[in-house]
Amino acid sequence: MRRSLFGRLWPNVTAVVLFVGCVFPVYWMFATAFKPTGDILAEDPVWFPTDITLEHFRTATGVEHFWTYVRNSLTVTVLAVAFSLIIALAGSFALARMRFKGRRGFIVGFMLAQMAPWEVMIIAIYMIVRDASMLNSLVPLTLFYTMMILPFTLLTLRGFVAAVPKELEESAMVDGCTRPQAFRRVILPLLAPGLMATSLFGFITAWNEFALVLVLNKDAGAQTLPLWLSRFQTQFGNDWGATMAASSLFAVPILILFVYLQRKAVSGLTAGAVKG
Amino acid sequence: MTVQTERPPSGPADVRKADDGGPGAPTPRAASRAGALGPYLLLLPACAATVLLLGWPLLKDVLLSFQNLNMAQLIQHATEWNGVDNYKETLTSEDFWRVTLRSILFTATNVALIMILGALIGLLLARLGKRMRFTLLIGLVLAWAMPIVAATTVYQWLFAQRFGVVNWVLDRLGWHSMADYSWTSSQMSTFFVVTVLIVWMSVPFVAINLYAATTTIPNELYEAASLDGAGAWRSFTAVTLPFLRPFLYATTFLEVIWVFKAFAQVLLFNQGGPDRLTEILPVYAYVEGIGNQHYGMGAAIAVLTILILLGLTAHYLRIVLKQEEDEL
Amino acid sequence: MKRKLVAAIGVAGMLFSVAACGGDDGDGGGKAGADGYAGQTLTVWVMDGSSPDQWQKDLAAAFEAKTKAKVKFENQQWNGIQQKLTTALSEENPPDVFEIGNTQTPAYAKTGGLADLADLKAEIGADWTESLNQSSIYEGKQYAAPWYFANRVVLYNKKVWADAGLKDTPKTRDEFYDALKTIGDKTDAEPIYLPGQNWYHFVGLVIGEGGELVKKDGDKYVSNLDDPKVVAAAETYKKFQALSKAPKDKDEATPQQGEVFAKGNVGAFIGMGWEAGIAIKANPEIEKEIGYFTIPGETADKPEGVFLGGSNLAVAAGSKKQDLAKEFLKLALSDKFEGQLAKLNGVIPNKESLQSNLEGNAPAEAAAPAAAVGGTTPLIPEWAAVENAPNPIKTYLTAVLNGKSPAEAAKQIEGEFNKRLEQQQ
Repeated sequence: MRRSLFGRLWPNVTAVVLFVGCVFPVYWMFATAFKPTGDILAEDPVWFPTDITLEHFRTATGVEHFWTYVRNSLTVTVLAVAFSLIIALAGSFALARMRFKGRRGFIVGFMLAQMAPWEVMIIAIYMIVRDASMLNSLVPLTLFYTMMILPFTLLTLRGFVAAVPKELEESAMVDGCTRPQAFRRVILPLLAPGLMATSLFGFITAWNEFALVLVLNKDAGAQTLPLWLSRFQTQFGNDWGATMAASSLFAVPILILFVYLQRKAVSGLTAGAVKG
Repeated sequence: MTVQTERPPSGPADVRKADDGGPGAPTPRAASRAGALGPYLLLLPACAATVLLLGWPLLKDVLLSFQNLNMAQLIQHATEWNGVDNYKETLTSEDFWRVTLRSILFTATNVALIMILGALIGLLLARLGKRMRFTLLIGLVLAWAMPIVAATTVYQWLFAQRFGVVNWVLDRLGWHSMADYSWTSSQMSTFFVVTVLIVWMSVPFVAINLYAATTTIPNELYEAASLDGAGAWRSFTAVTLPFLRPFLYATTFLEVIWVFKAFAQVLLFNQGGPDRLTEILPVYAYVEGIGNQHYGMGAAIAVLTILILLGLTAHYLRIVLKQEEDEL
Repeated sequence: MKRKLVAAIGVAGMLFSVAACGGDDGDGGGKAGADGYAGQTLTVWVMDGSSPDQWQKDLAAAFEAKTKAKVKFENQQWNGIQQKLTTALSEENPPDVFEIGNTQTPAYAKTGGLADLADLKAEIGADWTESLNQSSIYEGKQYAAPWYFANRVVLYNKKVWADAGLKDTPKTRDEFYDALKTIGDKTDAEPIYLPGQNWYHFVGLVIGEGGELVKKDGDKYVSNLDDPKVVAAAETYKKFQALSKAPKDKDEATPQQGEVFAKGNVGAFIGMGWEAGIAIKANPEIEKEIGYFTIPGETADKPEGVFLGGSNLAVAAGSKKQDLAKEFLKLALSDKFEGQLAKLNGVIPNKESLQSNLEGNAPAEAAAPAAAVGGTTPLIPEWAAVENAPNPIKTYLTAVLNGKSPAEAAKQIEGEFNKRLEQQQ
């Protein structure tokens, strides 16, 4: 009796502790963002904001060019995710479903590409872009972000494609579909979770990137949100309210996307991951 | 790039598998001949992008690593070759090796923590009731989804010396010397916070996926094990673990890469400080190259960083190479 | 809002240029045509907060009236400015004119990124204060023009001092220390907020001792931190820092010391006059309590040494608008605008005849006596590398404050310090 009670209790207690540990930083970010400065800089923390203020959000969004940053971030991220999905889908289909010489080489090649530490190559990228007269433009950013997320997208999608039963595709082809048709009508719908999972990853990577845009784009007109956020520390000193408001604004799109897509994405991701 | 030549293919693997027969039988001959170029065409965009957007910068970086490239040369667009000077200077500097060792220890610690905690939480998820599981999943997803830049500023605030909530809690718990503690003041405390941050961000990926993977283990396997008289531990080691092994390998590989490249967290939290003591390789390359404006030197360190990362992951890549022979 | 306006004017200017000449604004080559420089836009980088919006606006208007060209001010952050400036100077369209820290000027002069301004000096620079012009000269050539200078003062909270029963401001270092001690004993305020890495103040102390941070060893520069004069400065710093609860591993900007002071529970801090503005912004109540005095030196007749921070204006060698850029400098450095800047910002202007603009400005009046005994970090190209994060001087200070002897601390960072001094240029 005692043992089974204990046995039932500890997983739940642990789960609650873990839940708090996971959520607290996120909660604290939002809570701080809505608290008046007096409550933020209080000797004893104010755990639940009672006086809600939008002051910090006004400070954060009042920064010059804010909406340009939002627009740029969205443009670059969405385009990079879309490009990489299209490119990766084609490649992953080949790698998962076709036999050809050098297939292993391609796979390992993309694994190597996935390892590229982009931040250390920034000066090389800078010089290439500079000499091509493409500084202060969203085009190189989009291209390089596409490349940053391409290998992971491709390798993960390959797992998803492989997980679609071959029989489905074949029966479609028996029914008179060509291979591309079979792909579009049978495989693609089944890949939806995989596409969501990988686009989430792509989205978060491109959304986060700050080192490259910092060096490539000096014009505020071509900068993105991560720069705006990382500059807060220097511009606003320890104005934690504004910093947390900015962080909240920056995180919200991703948080919503994740929670919304979480189930579909997660179920499929395993298939991809197990396939390696 | 050494890893690719580790083991010559044991045979014409691609052909061997072709006469597999069964339901996966080859498609009609005509179609397959017409599609002989197909896979290459499908891979062409990905390969072109990789060559152009990754290969070119990489090549440029290698070229720069053989140059004396500082403020003056950059401004005047001057090319001054200096042979292997940058490599010589880097490889003979004590700093570089210290940073390398630090990077490896940092990666190992974080990946071990992430994998162990992630696996435990994944198994815990499988044991929880429906409602509790959903709650914990939401929590994990929120932590997972926090963008790095935002998460880092949040951790700066949590661990702030003045008015930081962590110091307040420690003080209340009776650890009064922590009331005004500056977490950025020492190497270990900075690494501690960065590690907490990285583990916090990374565990959800492992836990959620591991949980999802366990749900795909066929129940019959457990039943068979319990018929054989296996206890909980035995059925874990005999059924769960082997089933999850490929997943664990793949995840560890990804985590090694991600943690090793944890550039933003380290740079944004404490700029690699105090006293450059928390710089890991990518940060070191950045600070030496861009921060101190020795671009050629930074390029050389970048090349070495890539080689070291290759070394760290060689084992896994070799496994993949072998595995792929048997697939399809 | 105003900044937005300036930017809008800049954009409008560019649109106008396209309409007017149907070409890019570079093809005028910076030469004045029949219509002056109409249609061109000059890009000017200034550091955030270094010039008031009003000044920028007035200057832009006057510039347009004189040359028919527009000027676009872009405010820059100090953090990471060297990297940004270096890459910008290598680009096709560098900023035409930019503000550059006086201690960073020699390094940039050496790179060839700065245009030679000999003719400008000949034309308008005859009465520039010689000591302020020193940093602009490299190997005998004029690579920049001195713009404004400033040094630190003590900002104190009159109420806290009154609570402690203090009536006069101190005239010597010992009196200063005793006063702070009294605050600590008689009130519950923090006597002084002095973070461990206010390294400019430390440089000031070194200058006050007559010391140098580097010395020449053959043909290269090496650390001179083990010099007794530097050690004495470190001891002074440590003595005062012990009265503060401020972090030993942070500089004066994290957190902004003005914001800490704004809470009203700090007796004094060492900072620039304009930092009072930060405090007032954080807490308007504090304004009436802020007082200023010159940092007291060892004896009453000579104030403490100070770091004479300041900025020059330079023209990018790669700018396609050299003549227009010089026109801009002539106007910006004219008595009218140089004087206005001194008046609005309370900074020391580039010629002595303009110092009258500081009258009635309490912080500037407190700063002025020390400017005469002020100095800078070594004016050598090698120095720029030292200031890159993590600045070894900051590391040195933290080490000393955490209990290392100055000798030990000097030894600890000597390697890094020397390495930076001998870095290839």
